[in-house]
Amino acid sequence: MGVVHGDLMTLNIGPQHPSTHGVLRLKVKTDGEIVSEVEPYIGYLHRCFEKHCENVTYDQVIPYTDRCDYIASMNNNFGYAVAVEELMKIKVPERVEYIRVIVAELNRIASHLLALGTYGLDVGAFTPFLYMFRDRERILDIFEALCGARLLYNYIWVGGVSHDFPNEFVETVYSFLDYFEPKIKEYNELLTYNKIFIERTADVGVMPPEVAISYGVSGPNLRGSGVKWDIRKNETYSIYEKFDFDIPVGSGIMGTVGDCWDRYYVRMQEMVQSAKIVRQALKTIPAGNVHQALPKKIRPPKGFIYKRTESPRGDLAYYIVSDGSPIPFRLKMRSPAFTALSVLGEISQGWMMSDVIAILGSLDIVLGEIDR
Amino acid sequence: MSEDQDKYIAEVVEKALRGDMDAINNIEDRVTRSKAKAALIKAKRLSKTAAAEAAPAEETAQTDTTLTEKSLNQKVAEALAKKFSGSIDSEDVNEYIQLNGKNWFEIAQYLKDNPDLLFDSLQCITGFDFGEGEALEVRYNLHSMTHYHAIEIRIKTDRNDPKVPSVEQVWRIGDWFERETYDMYGIVFEGHHNMTRILCPEDWEGWPLRKDYETQETYHGIIVPKVKEGWE
Repeated sequence: MGVVHGDLMTLNIGPQHPSTHGVLRLKVKTDGEIVSEVEPYIGYLHRCFEKHCENVTYDQVIPYTDRCDYIASMNNNFGYAVAVEELMKIKVPERVEYIRVIVAELNRIASHLLALGTYGLDVGAFTPFLYMFRDRERILDIFEALCGARLLYNYIWVGGVSHDFPNEFVETVYSFLDYFEPKIKEYNELLTYNKIFIERTADVGVMPPEVAISYGVSGPNLRGSGVKWDIRKNETYSIYEKFDFDIPVGSGIMGTVGDCWDRYYVRMQEMVQSAKIVRQALKTIPAGNVHQALPKKIRPPKGFIYKRTESPRGDLAYYIVSDGSPIPFRLKMRSPAFTALSVLGEISQGWMMSDVIAILGSLDIVLGEIDR
Repeated sequence: MSEDQDKYIAEVVEKALRGDMDAINNIEDRVTRSKAKAALIKAKRLSKTAAAEAAPAEETAQTDTTLTEKSLNQKVAEALAKKFSGSIDSEDVNEYIQLNGKNWFEIAQYLKDNPDLLFDSLQCITGFDFGEGEALEVRYNLHSMTHYHAIEIRIKTDRNDPKVPSVEQVWRIGDWFERETYDMYGIVFEGHHNMTRILCPEDWEGWPLRKDYETQETYHGIIVPKVKEGWE
């Protein structure tokens, strides 16, 4: 059967549209219902984070990193703190490392819950969204008890964390894990193995590994394409080498390796692994003072650093140049969602209009981080 | 008895070293207890000197790892010097490789395809401004998904006519990273198919991340409020 080429129609999605997960505009050229070109237009949330950073001190940058990826603020704080500490050669107390890993992994679960829930919403499944938000709420409550904030924590500081665990915190997290782990099965029954969901996502938007690498795609999206790459394992930082966990990769159970379903399922499995890490960390967390290593004045020596960490969306890196003053000379944030969105035009060619929404949702982007 | 006792003392000392002082404090026999305490002090002193000895050993281990990194940087630099003579600007390649932008596209292709290097992932492009009236720089962080190694490449360019060859055809993410760098620093990447602003609006004036950037006075008829000097 030959391909019929009619006139291309230009369709505009966004900037205000529920399926774009923020203020993103897509210029879509379609041939009938078939998409021939997608061009994302970004920058609607641009605040020039990097210019701000050149005007504030190192510790004042941390609240800004919260506002970049507002779904996983702990991980953003974490990456920044690790980078500056390596630049200053600070060694943080053991307890701080444990606390950081615990909160970062909890935040990873919360972030994935939001990603998966809204993804179900994108492709028309309303109920799982409510279930996942109900459980995400419990993590947010835990964080609220920990530092008073529900989304923008400013919790992980350079050299430490802002507060130690409150009373009975460990028990609360344990009870959450006991509650949460069986829920994975429930999500799987509700959404993962739902016939309609599989029809919408399996074999759709296949991203071959070489395309993913060339576009700098990272995190669950890259692992969905079958590449076993996780900074926590491959370029380990903090104390991740102490914990036993697997890196789930896409294997094309429902269709092709690297399709939307694989990317979705990698996230689902990652939540199990994160829960496993939190359990191990809670079991062995040592006592100690969390404020012990906080530097009085953060004044890194002259130099530069490029430090990568694994945020829920992928390789989150900070490139920091210090000139020896208390203000960063240059701070660049390499955001994983930025690279993930850039691949959209490539992998959505030739799919139906409604599939573009499914592909976009499967990439799990956060516009706050893309636009910075 | 003494052998058993020695064994027992060694055991509790080890426990105490791990932070469980109760193991010693709970010993009922006073003589054994004091012996255990003495052994603990001795063990602590020993471990201190051992740690002091281990520290320089660790340092040498660290220099070893930097050696291997060095050798990667040097290996790359040597290969480039051989294949593309005159492309390396600085002799010092310990932390990064300074190129002058000549043949950058071919070099990038070479770095990506050479089986020993295989830098198939462009991690990050960072624009950099040395200060008013000085040069601009583009910094590339490359990483290999096969060999798990990474290097940093830097290319200086003139402030008044900043031009660097584009590598978007080598690494596809170069497209957006280069547009971002253009948006923030005004560095033109020659050969890029769509050199437009990406984060700022199309009609934005000036290059925001340059050190001598001045905020425009009005934007679409809206007066931009002046920000006080010094944010502290």
